[in-house]
Formats: sequence, structure tokens, C-alpha cells
Amino acid sequence: MEKEKEIVKRLKSFLGENLVKVTIPRERRIFSYIRKEVLREAVNYLVNVLRFKHISTITGVDLGGEIEVIYHLAYEGSILLSLRFTVSKEKPNVPTITDIVSGAVLYEREVHDFLGVKFDGHPDLSPLMLPEEWPQGVYPLRKEHKLEELKEMTSKKVGEKML
Amino acid sequence: MGLDHATAKKEVYKRMTTETMLLLRILVFPGVLFLFALAFFFEWVDRKFFARVQNRYGPLHTGQQGILQPLADFLKLLSKEDVTPYAADKIILFFVPISYLALPLTTLFIVPIASQMSLIAFEGDLIFIVFTFTLTIITVFFAGWSSTSRFSTMGSIRATLQMLSYEIPMGLSMIGPAMAASSLSVSRIVKWQSLHSWIVFIQPLGFAVFTVCLLAELQFVPFDIPEAETEIVAGWQTEFSGRKLALLRIGKDLELVLASALITSLYLGGCQRFWLIPPIVTFLVKTIMAVMLLSLLRAVFARFRIDQMLSGMWRYLLPLATIQIILIQLGLGR
Amino acid sequence: MNPCPIKIPFGPQHPALKEPENFLFEIEGERIVDVKPRIGYNHRGIEKAFECKTYIQNIYLAERICGICSDAHTTCYTQAIEELLGLEVPPRAKYIRVIIAELERIQSHALWIGLVAHEIGFDTLFMYVWRDRETVLDIFERISGNRIHYAMNTIGGVRRDISSAMVLEIKKSLNHMEERVKYYLDVVKSERTILKRAVDIGILEPKDAVNLGAVGPTLRASGVNHDVRVDDPYAAYDEIPFNVITHEDCDVLSRILVRCEEMHESIEIIHYALGYMPDGIIKTEIPMNFPEGETVSRVEAPRGELIHYLKSNGTRKPERYKVRSPTLGNIPALCRMLLGGFVADIPIVLAGIDPCFSCMDRMAFIDIKTDEKWVWTMQQLRRKFTNE
Repeated sequence: MEKEKEIVKRLKSFLGENLVKVTIPRERRIFSYIRKEVLREAVNYLVNVLRFKHISTITGVDLGGEIEVIYHLAYEGSILLSLRFTVSKEKPNVPTITDIVSGAVLYEREVHDFLGVKFDGHPDLSPLMLPEEWPQGVYPLRKEHKLEELKEMTSKKVGEKML
Repeated sequence: MGLDHATAKKEVYKRMTTETMLLLRILVFPGVLFLFALAFFFEWVDRKFFARVQNRYGPLHTGQQGILQPLADFLKLLSKEDVTPYAADKIILFFVPISYLALPLTTLFIVPIASQMSLIAFEGDLIFIVFTFTLTIITVFFAGWSSTSRFSTMGSIRATLQMLSYEIPMGLSMIGPAMAASSLSVSRIVKWQSLHSWIVFIQPLGFAVFTVCLLAELQFVPFDIPEAETEIVAGWQTEFSGRKLALLRIGKDLELVLASALITSLYLGGCQRFWLIPPIVTFLVKTIMAVMLLSLLRAVFARFRIDQMLSGMWRYLLPLATIQIILIQLGLGR
Repeated sequence: MNPCPIKIPFGPQHPALKEPENFLFEIEGERIVDVKPRIGYNHRGIEKAFECKTYIQNIYLAERICGICSDAHTTCYTQAIEELLGLEVPPRAKYIRVIIAELERIQSHALWIGLVAHEIGFDTLFMYVWRDRETVLDIFERISGNRIHYAMNTIGGVRRDISSAMVLEIKKSLNHMEERVKYYLDVVKSERTILKRAVDIGILEPKDAVNLGAVGPTLRASGVNHDVRVDDPYAAYDEIPFNVITHEDCDVLSRILVRCEEMHESIEIIHYALGYMPDGIIKTEIPMNFPEGETVSRVEAPRGELIHYLKSNGTRKPERYKVRSPTLGNIPALCRMLLGGFVADIPIVLAGIDPCFSCMDRMAFIDIKTDEKWVWTMQQLRRKFTNE
């Protein structure tokens, strides 16, 4: 737990009060909440100074009125730090981190496809997993879209194509 | 006058029988029908041997040990739908399988199979054989070009490139036996070997070069680049289906027969008469061994990339073939 | 002559791809200038489906994310739930999980070696390796009754035990497998035609590998010593000594060698685990209530780091479940490897990362593109959508 505590201390001293909350639920796991504004500085600090060089993935969670974006970064493959903040659903804009960590390029596209989060500065936000004919503005992983409704939509589309 | 009439009738009768005999020899044995049967048989030998090397069974159920499988595949293909791409050149596409089938078939008439003299023998027929190999590749080129699909085009380009690399070493390794026998006729080369010794013992380098070049001509691994399945579907054969594909396949089998017959005749002594064993039997034994050799080589190598094959051919095979010719000139191969 | 890049589409149907993917290559002559991946042909909407089923039902769903690494997914899933519940899995169950996971790794690498051999035209090696893979599948059938989806994991432990009779059979099969792995290592290192197609092909520098988020054998073949079994141990891996295999050459041959030697290591791990497996129960009871909370679970699947994120809202169904499969992590690295290479090397470099597109595409919805292939069979399509 020593290493985890040390990382938390250094992160606290760097971010100050922009680090809203941080917990260590068990060894090798750190969960932290930050303010959206300091995302890029925080990621830069973690990747280049604290050497969290590996990005595991980026998760998006629909919380109702807001969308939570979580960045999972790994230190030497072992300690996993989850860095999170929320954005509103009306204006879900987040600065990209692809210039700091190139491996984030596909993960940001994925979160954009399914939850509608726009990553400003991303080189190419074209659909990654959704087909080209998918209607604009329908983000399947948002809670307002139910499984049955989405199924109907795809079957109707296919039906139109057949006729 | 009655005598004239009788002798005249006898003349006509004799000519008719010789001509019928010739027709029978061309069409049945050792002609077209026999060659077709041999083509199917050799395809079975190749598939069975290849499979056993890979620890598989190979064809098993049709006929005893699957021997009727190639025939069954041929008949099945004949009955399938022939799908031609919309943009393809239909006339050329129609003639390609026929030409691909006819070329090795006619060339096989030159190789002595059942007797010391082949059906067609003339001074220089060896050059004719080289010529038909080139024509075959031109047919392959036309196959890919007239199919107008992306994969076919790439396949035929690769086939032509491949020909550019193996043609010269192959020609050189075929000239070797001709130099030893002082004749450009396959039948005479075979006769020379029965009087002296098998050429493989005095020109082993030429034998090795010739076998490798034949692997490239037959488009067997490691030289199956023109039909590399994992890269370009079936290469130049992609757009052929149904009857056309059936003809292509039997054409391929006939090429295998031709390749093994050439190895046998030029290097392994051809069809000789051993004591009481008729020449056809020695011919069959030797060609089956040649087929198994080609099959074995096919099984133990991976595929080369086109640039690796080109550089390998020009850097290794061509010098080796040339060295062999030089050795012969110095008296070592006669 | 002005070089004008030609665009070649690779996929979605292509004989080199066992699953549909689409890559758009820009080439000049025979060299690749740019790569654009377009994935999503195997989407099945699994993440959304997770939210609609209970935790127990989701075990079956998690298993079917992928056929070859199904156990890795269930291990990761059950670990996430167990951490949420604060459950301690019994020691014997941990060892059994290790054994099954390592057997799966052997089977997956064997399948992969066969595929690589097939890509370069070496069918004989392909046939031999797949024949030997049957030995491992027979072990699975003996233990669990299934060759592919073994359904061994459940929340709180494992579902089936390994009896002592089975242990003897497993050891015998492993000894046979050991000899075969040695033979394949020799073949790969010495066969000239393989070497010509694999040495110095698909280079990925270590710095790029880490920065682009590569995982698993792809990462380790570039000399980077990361393996979740050692860095973030789970199940019984903290009690079992083994080596992490890395190679420095960063090419396709290194990836082949890393996987061959990992097969050897897996056999050693299984021998150790079989020898030191403690007795006891194989499953603990799970409580009726699922508390709120969130967990992150990581596992070293055969293809690399597999990560699951779970968020629970206190009900019996998850609030959010996220899966990131190793292949998705390797795609940016793949694009880097392909740049500047030959067109003819595309299949082998692609095969070199051991792609499993089914694992990768499992988000949102049933993809229209996949259905488009079946539009010709209208009956099938109508039946599929209207009866559900």
C-alpha cells in the first residue's frame, strides 16, 4: 500500500483542490474524482511524471442528467488509477488526450459512439463500431434508449433496405 | 485385273488399319483417354501423399481409398452453375480453360510413354515443349486479365512475374540432357539413357534445378504465389466456376502429369524395357515417384513472397543452371 | 511520375480474416502509406445486454463474448463481482481457476500458431499443431464436459472439481504436449521459409508499444515486461512461481517465439498447481444483497490484458458493465506496425497480434452491416427479428 499512498500524496500536492476526492479501496486500485478543467494537466502529470504510461481504457457511464467519463491508467502494469469527472448531457465536451497518450485514440471514439461525448481536438471522431447509416444523435448506451427500442430500430432499417 | 483389284483393296485395308490404329493410339492409349485417367490418378497420388505427410487421411470414401475422388470432383464441377462476372471478357474467358487443357495434353504426345517412340517425335520437339510452357503462362495471364476482378488481375501479374524468373533456368536445365544425348528430341534422349546411364547420375545439379523450376511452373508451394489463398482468394482462377473450373482443374492435373513425365524422360531414363517388364510399367513407376517428390516438397515448405522468389531465382537458380551447362561443356556430363 | 497512393480495401470479407473487419490501406507500389481501421462487424450489443440481466445470468453472457478466451472473461467477471461483495474465494477454487486459465492459454496459442502457419502457406505445420491442440480440448472435455465454453467459473468459486484420477490423465497429456511444444519451437526457429516471412516484419518499438496501449504477447515481444499475472496478481498466481517471457526483436518472429515459450511456461504452471492444490470446498455462498459500489477487474487473457469495470446500484442487475478486450488495445499498435511495410505482409502482421474481433466489438447494437450480408436470405432475417 506504500506505493499507492505515495502516489495519492503526490497527486494531491499537484492538483490541490482540483482533486475532489480520492480513495484506495484495496491494494493496486486508486479511484479519484477531479474537475474536468484539469483533465489534461492531470493526465500529463500522471503519464509523464508519475509514469502511469499504460492506458487500459476509457469508460463512459450514463448517470441520468450527466455522463461520467473514467480514464483507467496503469503504473508499470500493476497499480490501476481510475480518473473520473462528469459532464452534462447537453454539452458533453471533453478535451482530448490523444496527444499525450496515443493509445487513447480508439477508446475516445468508442465513448463518443455510444454515449455522445465529444472529444475536442481528436484527429478523427468518425464512427468506430456503429454503422454509417446509424441515425445521428442516437447514442445506444444512454439510459433513455431501451434494448427493445434499439432492436426495433435496426429491424425497421433493415426492412426498409429490403423494400 | 482381279489381282490389281485385290492388292488395291489390300492396300486400302492396310492403310485403314494403320490409320485406325493411329487414331486409337491418339484417342485411347497412350493418348487422350489414358492421359485423362492418368491425370486423375496422379491428382489422387498427390492429394493422398500430401495428406499423409500432414497426418491426415486425404480422400477416403469414394472408391477404394478415395481413388475415384478426383473424378467425382470433376463431374461435380461440370454440373455446377457457371457464373461469369458482368465486366469480364466473355470470349477470352471461354477459350482460356480450353487452351489451358489442350496445351499440356498435346505436349504429352511428345513424351514417350508406352514405347521408345512417342506419338509425335521430331528433331527439336524439346524446344516445342518449352514453347508450350510459355503459352501456358500467357493463357494464365489472359485468364486473370479477362476476369477483370481485383484478385484475378493481381494473380495473373504475379504469375507472369514468376514465369520471368523460372523460364531461363528451366530452359537451361532442359538443354543439359539434350547436350548429353546430342539431340533435341525427347524420344532420342530417352533412347540415349537406355544405352548409357540415367542422366540424373551425371547431371545431378540440373536435376535439382529442373525440379525446383517445375514446382514454380506448377504453382506449387513454395511458389503458389499466383494463387495464394490467404492473400488474393484464388488469384487468377478466382472468377472461374462450373464447367470452366472443371476444365482448369483437369488442365492442372495434366500439367502435373507432364511435369512428372518430363522429369522421368529427361533425367530418370524414361520408359525403358527392363527384362520382361513392359516400358509402360517403368514409366508409371518413375512418374509416380516424381509426383511424390513434388508432393513432398509442397508439404514441407511455406510460401515465398514474390520479391523473395524473384531474387532467389535470379541469384541462386540461374547461376546453378549455368554452372551445370559449363560442367557439361567441360566434359563432365556426357 | 507522380506517385498517387492507391487505396486497397482489406475486408470485411477476406480469406485472411477469420472474422470480418475492414481496413482501408493507402499504398504506393507495394508499400503501405496509411491504415484506417473500421471495426464493428461483430457487434452484438453485449454491454447493453449486461444491464438488462441479473448478475447470475450475466455469467453466461460474459462467457460467450469470445469462444477462445471464454474462461478469461468469466474469471474477470466473477472476480469483479466477488470484489464488490467482499467475497473470499476458497483456495482450491483459486488453483482450479489457474489451471483452467493456463489450459486455455495453451489451447489459444496453439490455435494461433496454426493460423499463422496457414497465413504463410505452411499448411503442414497448421495441420500438425491443430492435431495436438485436440489433446488440450480432450482435457477440457474430461474436466468440464465441453471443448469450448467450459462454464467452470461462478460467483464465489468454480462449479466442478478436478478429481485425482483426472489429475493423472492431465499430467500424461501435458507431457505429450510438452514434447510437441519443443518440436514446434525448433521448427519455428530453424525453418528458413518461416524465418524469411517473419524476421524484421511488423516492427514495433518498445516506446511506441507502451504509448499506443499495446498489451499481452504483442507488448512482450517488444521487450516490455508487463504481465497482469505478475503485476496485478489474481486467483492463485501470487503463490505460483513462473517466468514472464519477453523477446527483444520486436518483429513477428518474436511474437511467435513469445507465444511458443508461454505455452511451455503454462505447462509448468499447471504441473505446479496440480501438485500444490490444497483440498477443501470449491465454492462459497453468495449473499442475497448486492451493495452499491464499483470495481475494476483485470486478467491476463491469452491475448493480453483484459479489463472489466463494474458499477452496481444495489439491485440485482448491474448499473454499468464495461469490457475492454485485449485486441482493441492492440489495434493502434497494429496500425503503426503496418505503416511502411509491404502489402504481402499484411496477413501475417495482422495475424501477429492474435486478433479476436468477436471479443473486441461487443458494444451497442446488432450491426446493420453484418445483417446486410444476409439480406439475400430474407426468410432468415425476418425470422430473426420478429420472433424475439
